[in-house]
Parts: sequence; C-alpha cells; structure tokens
Amino acid sequence: MKNRLLLTMAATAAIGVGSAAGAANAADFSKARIPVIVKATTSQYWATVFDGARAAAKVLGVKIETQGAPAETDVAGEVSIMENAIASHPTAIVIAATNAVALAQPIAKATAAGIPVIMIDSAANTTKFVTFLATNNETGGQKAADEIARCVKARTGKAAGNVAYLTALAGAQSLNDRDKGFVEQLKKYPGLKIVDHRVGNNDASKALSDSEDILTKHPKLVGIFADNELEGDGAGTALSEKKLGGKVCLVSFDTSSQEIKFVRNGVIDGLIVQNPYMMGYAGVWYALAAAHGAVFPKFVDSGVHVVTKANIDSPAMAGLLDPKKYKLTPFLGD
Amino acid sequence: MKASLTDLRHRLPVETYVAGLTVLMWIVLAFSSPYFWTGGNVTNILRQVSIAAVIAYGELFTVILAGIDLSVGSVAGLSGIVFAMILSAGYPILLALVAGLAVGFVIGTVNALASDRLGIPPFIVTLAGLQAFRGLALLMSGGMTIAGLPNAIGTIANTTIFHIPTLFVVMAVIGVCSHFVLRYTRLGRYMYAIGSNAESARRVGIDVTFVTLVAYCVSAVFAAVGGMLLVARLSMGTPTAATGYELQAIAAAVVGGASLFGGRGTIIGCFIGALLFTTIGNGANLLGVDPFWEMVIEGLLIAAVVYLDNIQKRRQAGIA
Repeated sequence: MKNRLLLTMAATAAIGVGSAAGAANAADFSKARIPVIVKATTSQYWATVFDGARAAAKVLGVKIETQGAPAETDVAGEVSIMENAIASHPTAIVIAATNAVALAQPIAKATAAGIPVIMIDSAANTTKFVTFLATNNETGGQKAADEIARCVKARTGKAAGNVAYLTALAGAQSLNDRDKGFVEQLKKYPGLKIVDHRVGNNDASKALSDSEDILTKHPKLVGIFADNELEGDGAGTALSEKKLGGKVCLVSFDTSSQEIKFVRNGVIDGLIVQNPYMMGYAGVWYALAAAHGAVFPKFVDSGVHVVTKANIDSPAMAGLLDPKKYKLTPFLGD
Repeated sequence: MKASLTDLRHRLPVETYVAGLTVLMWIVLAFSSPYFWTGGNVTNILRQVSIAAVIAYGELFTVILAGIDLSVGSVAGLSGIVFAMILSAGYPILLALVAGLAVGFVIGTVNALASDRLGIPPFIVTLAGLQAFRGLALLMSGGMTIAGLPNAIGTIANTTIFHIPTLFVVMAVIGVCSHFVLRYTRLGRYMYAIGSNAESARRVGIDVTFVTLVAYCVSAVFAAVGGMLLVARLSMGTPTAATGYELQAIAAAVVGGASLFGGRGTIIGCFIGALLFTTIGNGANLLGVDPFWEMVIEGLLIAAVVYLDNIQKRRQAGIA
C-alpha cells in the first residue's frame, strides 16, 4: 500500500521532470523504445498484459515491442528474444521470466549494459533489476481468508466453523504463497478451523472428486478455499451438484468463465483476481521512469481484488474479468 | 475334500482376490468413517468410477491383443474439446456427440494401421499419439477452458435413474456390451487367440489386421466417450482434461487380471480394478490420508496384485 503510493509519486515525478525540462526531453520520449517480453504469446493472460502495455505506450507516447515465445515451455526461445533485445539497445525492457534460472544471466547482462529491466509476474534469480511488479500471492491468500470469514459471518451470524482448502499442484511457488497467506490469515479468526487439505493434479475432475469427498466427510463444512481456477471449477461443480451453493462459502483464485458463472448463480462466493493489465500498464510506466533515473522498491504489488456477486457488474471489476472492458480507474483503495 | 478346496483356491481367477480386497476395504472404511456407507457417498463412488472404467474397458481390448494404447487420455481430452466447442457454438448435442465419436474412430483407425501395416510397435504409435493429440486439443482451444455449454449437458451427467447416476448407467451398458463381445462372439475369441499367439492366429486364417483395427477403434472410441462424459460432468471442456488417464486405465486392467503379454483379461476384472482405485481415492479423502501417501499405496498395490497373479499362474501350471 505504502509502496504503491511511493511509486506513483516517483513515476509522476520522473515524467514531470521530463516535461518540465522542456521540449527536448519530451521528444526523447517519442524515441523511447521498450520491448515487453512475456512468457507465451498464445494465452489470454499475456494478451491482457500486452493490452495494458499498449495503453501505457499510447498515454506516454513511447514505442513498445510486444514479444514472447509461443509457449511457456520454450525457455531457450525467451532467452534468445531477451539477448536480441539487449543487442538492440532499447530504452528499457519489461520482461516476465519463464524460468527463474535461465533468465537470470540475460537480465543481469541488460542491467550491466545500462538498460533498466522491469520484471513482471515472475522473477528471475538475480538482483540486477530495477523492480519486480507482480501479484502478491500471499496477500491474495489473506484476502481469501478474510472473504470466507465475511461470508460465513453473513450467513450464520458468526465467523465460526470448519474450513477446507484445495491446492492445485504440489511444488508451485505461487500456489504455496497463496496457501500460506490463507492459512496464516485464517488464524486471525479463532472460530474458523481448517479441518482438511487436499492436493490436486491441476485437474478439474480430480478437484471435483476431492471436493465431493470433503463435503461427505465434513457435513458441517462452512467454507472452502480453492487456490486456482481448475480447483475452483471442480469445487464449484461439487457444490452445485450437491445443491450446497448457498450453504458452503467457496472462495477461489482466478476468473475462468465457469467460475464467473458460479459467482453469478451464487455457488462461488468470492473470486481472488489478479491484475495482469496493470502489470503491463505500470510496467511500461516504470520502465520509462527508470530510464530517466527514478528509483523503485525491489517489489511492487500489482494488486489483487475480490470479486463477489455484489460487485461483479461494477465498472471497476468488469475490466478484471474481461480485459476488453478494462478502463483505467481512479485510485481504488485497498 | 481338502484337496479340492485347495484346488479351487488355486483356480480362482485374480479378479476374485481383487474383488475380495475391495470388499475388505469397504468393510474397513465402513467402520473407520461414519460417512462411507451413506447414500451420498455411494453415489459419489459410482460417479467417480464411471469415467475411469469406460476408458479402462477400451484399453483392455488392446491389452488382450498384447498391444497397448497410451493415447487414451489425450484422445479423451481431444474429443472432449471437440464436443465442447461444437456445443458452445450452439449446435445440437447429437452433432457434437457424433463429432466426438468420429474423433475416436479416426484415431483408432490410424493407431491400428500404423501398428499393424507400418509395423511400428503400438507402444510407440500411441506414445506419439499421447503427445500429438494433447497438442491438438491445446491448439484447438488456444489453451483455454471452453465454457458456455447448454445446461442440459450438465443435467444429463448429474441426474440419477432410480438413485443410480446416469454416468454409471452409461458405463454399465458399455461394460455389458463389451463383456458380451469378448466372451460370446467369434470376434472376442479371435482377440484372445491373437493375444496368445499372433502368428498361429494368422496361420489358422484369422484376419489379424481387421481384429486389430476393431480393438484400437474400440479403445479410442471408448476414450472419446469418457472424454465427453468428463465434459458433461464438469459442464466445460478443458484441453488438459484426462491427462495421465492412460496409466489409470492400464492399472485398472492389469489389477483386474489382464496380462500385458496378451491373451488374458476380462471386463469384470477391469471394472473391479477401476472400483478398487476409486475406493482407495475416496477412502483416502474420507480418512484424511496424505495425498502423497495415497500415490505410494496405489503403486504398491499394482505391484502386489501382479505378483500375486504371477504366483497364481505358476501354481495353475503346476496343477495342470
């Protein structure tokens, strides 16, 4: 929160200095060239990052180059894209590292060549970068715990009862962070007790079976947290199959179309939504500011929001669910 | 008397032991979890076993021929995506169903021809398919989940007929038909004959190419049915759906008494094998067993059952 404010100030200051210094500096902006390199050009998520980056480029009057390998598994592809970008001496580089180890060296090389690097979404194992702008997954997990507590309280009068959570896959850092945030935050509600935890196979059908069994085993369950969209799809299907939509509070990460449907018909109580648009948008702003001397904290939270039935149709959330509808909003608060 | 009992015990097929183990597990679970033997949980088990069993039945046909089909999981994924995309575009259910089945039929034909005519081992042909068909599913869907299917689809998959889930009914019908074909038709006997000794089968005039074609088509079409049932159950198509199901299917067939060397295996055994794994998964969830331990237990079980089966076969040979 404090970080975000500081940043906005820093960025504004840097751009402000630019325009105050006169026409010569403003012309520099139009020459500025910023490659935006993502993990995969074929996915909706990264297309949204590009949308945000393009919007920022338009506002700032800079040129961006949207690049990336076709698939997230093509690590070597991203490394060569990065090497080519460095060779072309751009103003700054915005990159989401497909592989933390493989991209560490190229990113450090760019920094050594005097090119500021803004990392978005996924970091590489190096300290030679300007800032890392990403979803704070732990915060997302905390918000999920708060949302379950709120929902249970709204339905039963007090935040108390048995809760279970579903992990999509063992060994993924982002999921571990979400779960950690959730488990820690839930301790603040002494009435809510975690009674079950299942690890899936990133498979909606397994999530469905697991959820059914959890609901069988704990008939008094009041809440479920699902830590990605396939788990949310599966848990939502289990609740709607057993007609428990209005009874068990389900909170899930991400925004699959199935999940959005479940929010609308009351099966899912809340979705924890990341903001890839802002990663692209702010990433380009920061890149330009950094190229003109702005200094940033090493980690910046790109924000996580809670979407519920109450706010799902609000203009502020519409863009998070459907990037085509994204409108830049005034400061939203926390 | 005693001798004939021992004799009987030695002649009992491995299915009996696996069925016994499953029943034993039910009894233990009934005592250790108050929720196991409830109507809701039994319905859950019936639903959970259905899709795995349908895919395992198809796999069994290729295993009997001493072949293997590693592509069933990917075929299920691909036909599921085709099915879901046609439905979400607003076309009628029947068209989507036919298209999904056609995917299975075409793939089965390709698998059979490549292994029988081109002489590529089925393991390799279907391993290539496992990769390629999953890729196609991802390509067609752009890696995204396909939603927006008509509500009727989810309703069909999640209703019950006289308290029995429709999924289970579909699985049972497919199972009974398959059992009939394998047990009581000439085609079925040819399959066992080819699996026991392909060369002698060829010499007595069995059309090996045709029988192989049928077996691989059955395998792929059943996988396609499984994939579409999965889509119906979740009311959405996921390109990564049914990943790894080929191994589950093989495990169910083998635990149920099929031999990877061919010539042996029954639909009933296959069903019991699938039921055993579903029971383990359900029991592990109800008892709160660590999911990683669950995998270890399943692995040990496969090894133990096949070992038992081998001992049994040696004893039978000794008696004969």
